[in-house]
Amino acid sequence: MKLGLMLMIVGALFASSCTKKQSTQYGLKNEETLKINITTEPPSLDWSKSTDTTSALIQDNIMEGMVEYNFEDPDLGLKPALAKEWNSTNKAQTWTFTLRDNVKWNDGVPFTAQHIVDGWERLLNPTTASEYAYFLYGVKNASKYSRGEIKDFSQVGVKVNKKGQLVVELEGPQSYFPYLLTHHCTYPIRLDVIKKFGEKWTSPENIVTLGAYNLKIWEHDKAIVLERNDSYYSTPAKTKNILAYMIPQVSTAITLFETGKIDVQANLPSAELKVLKKKKEYKESGILSLYYYGMNTKKPPFDNINVRKAVAHAIDRKEITTMLDGGQRPMTSWVPPGMFGFDSNKGAKFDPSKAKEFLAKAGFKDPSKLPKIDLAYNTNEDHKRIAENVQAQLKRNLGITVEIKNEEWKSYLGKLKSDTPHIYRMGWVADFPDPDNFLNLMTSYSDNNHTNWGNNAFDDLIKRAVSVDKKDDRRELYAKAQQILTEDEVPVIPIYSGVSHILVNERVKNYPMNVMGRRKFKGVVLK
Amino acid sequence: MIDKLKGLAFPALVFWLLCLVINSFMGYEMPSIIGKLTLALVFGSLIFYIFKMRLFSYITQRVLESAFTLFAIATLTFLLLRVLPGGPFDQEKTLPPEVMANIAKKYNLDAPMYVQYFDYMKGVVTFDFGESYKYIGRPITDILVESIPASIELGIYSLILAFLMGIPSGVIAASKHNKFGDRILMFFAISGVALPVFVVAPALILLFCYKLGWLPAALWSGPQYYILPVLALGTRPAATIARLTRASVLEVIASDYIRTARSKGLSNSVVLFKHVLKNSLIPVLTYSGPLVAGLLSGSFVVELIFAIPGMAKHFVQSVSNRDYPLIMGVTLLYSALLIISNLIVDILYSYFDPRIQLS
Repeated sequence: MKLGLMLMIVGALFASSCTKKQSTQYGLKNEETLKINITTEPPSLDWSKSTDTTSALIQDNIMEGMVEYNFEDPDLGLKPALAKEWNSTNKAQTWTFTLRDNVKWNDGVPFTAQHIVDGWERLLNPTTASEYAYFLYGVKNASKYSRGEIKDFSQVGVKVNKKGQLVVELEGPQSYFPYLLTHHCTYPIRLDVIKKFGEKWTSPENIVTLGAYNLKIWEHDKAIVLERNDSYYSTPAKTKNILAYMIPQVSTAITLFETGKIDVQANLPSAELKVLKKKKEYKESGILSLYYYGMNTKKPPFDNINVRKAVAHAIDRKEITTMLDGGQRPMTSWVPPGMFGFDSNKGAKFDPSKAKEFLAKAGFKDPSKLPKIDLAYNTNEDHKRIAENVQAQLKRNLGITVEIKNEEWKSYLGKLKSDTPHIYRMGWVADFPDPDNFLNLMTSYSDNNHTNWGNNAFDDLIKRAVSVDKKDDRRELYAKAQQILTEDEVPVIPIYSGVSHILVNERVKNYPMNVMGRRKFKGVVLK
Repeated sequence: MIDKLKGLAFPALVFWLLCLVINSFMGYEMPSIIGKLTLALVFGSLIFYIFKMRLFSYITQRVLESAFTLFAIATLTFLLLRVLPGGPFDQEKTLPPEVMANIAKKYNLDAPMYVQYFDYMKGVVTFDFGESYKYIGRPITDILVESIPASIELGIYSLILAFLMGIPSGVIAASKHNKFGDRILMFFAISGVALPVFVVAPALILLFCYKLGWLPAALWSGPQYYILPVLALGTRPAATIARLTRASVLEVIASDYIRTARSKGLSNSVVLFKHVLKNSLIPVLTYSGPLVAGLLSGSFVVELIFAIPGMAKHFVQSVSNRDYPLIMGVTLLYSALLIISNLIVDILYSYFDPRIQLS
């Protein structure tokens, strides 16, 4: 007993020597803190290397690119950020950017054009092995440098001229080039910081940034705290702190939202939208994205163009979006609504009688003569609901039997490369808001085209369109390309363009909602 | 006097550990020196016990066996991962071949398989599992070291809850064999075994956070945050332990030496908790080996639902990300935990029941 007593005293003594752990609020005042849920740990805050949206959300708030989207512009143009102005010469092949001269990094070092060049060198350097290196392959000699064929970076088409301007020379004309500079992989970097700290340069005590917020705390798998950067070159952020929790389970997060522990919850489960939609905190906004089915044009019977047309005409996209009931927009064109080049008239419209005609024309008057058709998707509740709906529609409208198959994500991707199923599900979210980003997918030389379809006229149109300056001329070229893709040849069936659903507490004003899913919090005001 | 102290050594150690756990549960962070001292104390007493009982050759043999098991697990995992379809860098937006080539080179994935295997084995021996593919630039050891504490905390609290609830209820149920108390306790035990965590956890949140508003739903930062996850994780093993204890106690109660103890006039509770209990704990101990390893390495569902920054998610996510180094790291860590806890359980057998000879 005495021993026990002694131990108890020791225990009490050492308890008093212990320190209390951090609280969930990190000592931040509620009225100065926007509390959001970013769901998962950002895999990396190194903006030359990361590829996911969670990391991008943090990076977009602590960093800035040369230009920024102008969401007030209906055509989604650009507005100045680190660059004051820019212009192109030589048919959109040479671009000159004049940079602001009042920008400072948060350690006081003035920002210069060389920081951009450093960033691009690092992005393209083969030893960095960045997944987004290809973003700048349009720059002269960039892909050669990335392949290691050129060792001297001065041969790559990006230079600082005597006036301190950034001059970029491209391989060929690229009218959308400035849009690429909104992406985090093209942001400037501080080589001296990276050299000093190695892989640990992104931890809060080491990182040097120049955006509206500073990275203050990063507790892995738990939370990130951003704090207003007082040396920011433009209007300072309105809300002092951003507290970003990492709560993976959506139902838990919704409970936290409803008990006021978080202000914003995105990624709402589609099965619960019916209930959540009725809340006054519910908001939705379109996203420049595309949900589509592709067909393997080398695998019978889909090598027959008329079978593809029959299937494309037999699917009522509206029925699918009504079932999903989440504000998705049904579409038959390839370029999504909200993007320059969108034309709702394009594509194979729902028409069962036309579909049957095409099937007869393909030689399958009796649909039971068709070989077994597989429809594949990666395991996911929504993909499953859509696949089952399409299966039912094809049975009802065409009389054909489709077998649906699902596989876990990475296995599914492996399968698309090695043995593409008859019909497969895929999606695309805009990297930059230009039709080239979408139509390029289906060129014969695209790595994302799993349909085995290729068409020279289509490839030519896409190549030509990027060199055209005048918007109306470009629009026309893209219209032609979409005609080939979705009406004449039909290797793909667009289904809908996506929406982001979100719950936002009423005390939050000006929460950024836009078609690029870009979340810059500097304009957010808390009431 | 010395004998008395010796007898007290084990309970004292348990008591000390309990003190630490309570401290940590109340939200205090230990100075690292105390953690290290405690580890030294635990392993020191274990080694002392091993020497005292002359278990040295037995332990050597077991350690060699374990090393071989780990080697086999490492090799199998390595091979199975390479057979799995889909690579770590496959994604919705397919990467151009030159980018893929740079990535393969950086992570040594372009080397012949046997070179990759030997490099990897070298890493395993030196505890260097390389860098994660998913969490770019973060060494696996860092990821594990940062995510283990939350899992261990959760595991230990749940374990203690399981023992504190399970063993007494098992003993009480057995002593009231087939009476009302037994029935009611076993009703709860069977429900506890039958109800899966993914039902219990959301039900707890619904009741205590949403309806009553007494406790926070998630985030892992203090006593009030620990209660629900520990309850969710601990009830199931508690129920299993209760059932095991009950069965075992019933068996021991019928033995001759218990009758002797009773005939000596000892009170019922002394007989139960002093003579019966110690000898009834063998099945519970057997169950504890895998249980400890399982609880310490975290529970995927509980950590997911309560947003606990532990390591359990890595068991699942590393596979769907095909994050080879992380998969290897967590697999080997779990295997090692399992082997060590089973070994400790085997040693404890001879403590609880001196009739068991280890050699």
